[in-house]
Amino acid sequence: MTTPLPPPGYRQTRLIDPFEIYVGPVFEKGEGVGRQYAFRVQAHHANLGGRLHGGMLMTFADLTLGQAVWDATGNASCVTLNMQTQFLNAAHEGDLVEVLPVIARQGRSLVFARGDFTVAGEVIFTASSVWKLLGQD
Amino acid sequence: MSEVPAGLPEGAEPAPGGGFNQFIGPFYRLPDREEGAVRRFCFVAGEKHMNAAGSVHGGMLMSFLDVAMSRSTRLGTGAQRLSTVALSTDFIGPGRLGEVIEARVRITRRTRTIVFLSAKLVTGERILVTATGLWKIPAAT
Repeated sequence: MTTPLPPPGYRQTRLIDPFEIYVGPVFEKGEGVGRQYAFRVQAHHANLGGRLHGGMLMTFADLTLGQAVWDATGNASCVTLNMQTQFLNAAHEGDLVEVLPVIARQGRSLVFARGDFTVAGEVIFTASSVWKLLGQD
Repeated sequence: MSEVPAGLPEGAEPAPGGGFNQFIGPFYRLPDREEGAVRRFCFVAGEKHMNAAGSVHGGMLMSFLDVAMSRSTRLGTGAQRLSTVALSTDFIGPGRLGEVIEARVRITRRTRTIVFLSAKLVTGERILVTATGLWKIPAAT
């Protein structure tokens, strides 16, 4: 299993969750809110039919939308309450999946984050999520 | 059976799978309940499945849902090719290292090409996750 290099313009994201490190690497460009993320589909991200596994997309969504919530809140402790995902099209080994997470609303205790995930500019997957900031009512 | 570690619920059998399933697994199938109305699967939360806060990562829980609900669609319809269309997941409580996390999946309705499912993830009788999803199957020819 060879580790993919950062795509042009991207640098490797520093991950701390063991599961994210295990399925990574993940790449990013830009700073703070407005950071964009990407990962390269490898053989072990695919199912036996050679298509990208939905679980990897949902993991990438949890990771990137969570990073966006962290950026927006100054690294507040938070948990995912709900995530809604839609699978519009397939992706395959070698594809670069990219997302620019959007904070739809930032309340006192809840943050709403979503993203359109693209391959070569085409949306293949969307995710919409609600996060709870711990210790805030 | 040597491939099934001790401590799993009775009747656990290795679930088939390669690729990502094998990478993040292993997963096991458990005996059905209610004469096949409830399909059951499980995995044991290991170090690689965790987040930095010491809970099972949400991405792992959603991946397990995808595996269990896809497999249930296949078992319930006989369809060989199928795809996840939509999944909505509520995260109710955390999973912890070493816990046996079990999926219980029901098919709510099946049309010619669409299967509606509901699922929950539990450890013991504690609910970690509830989910509903929509799968696409090819029309029978």
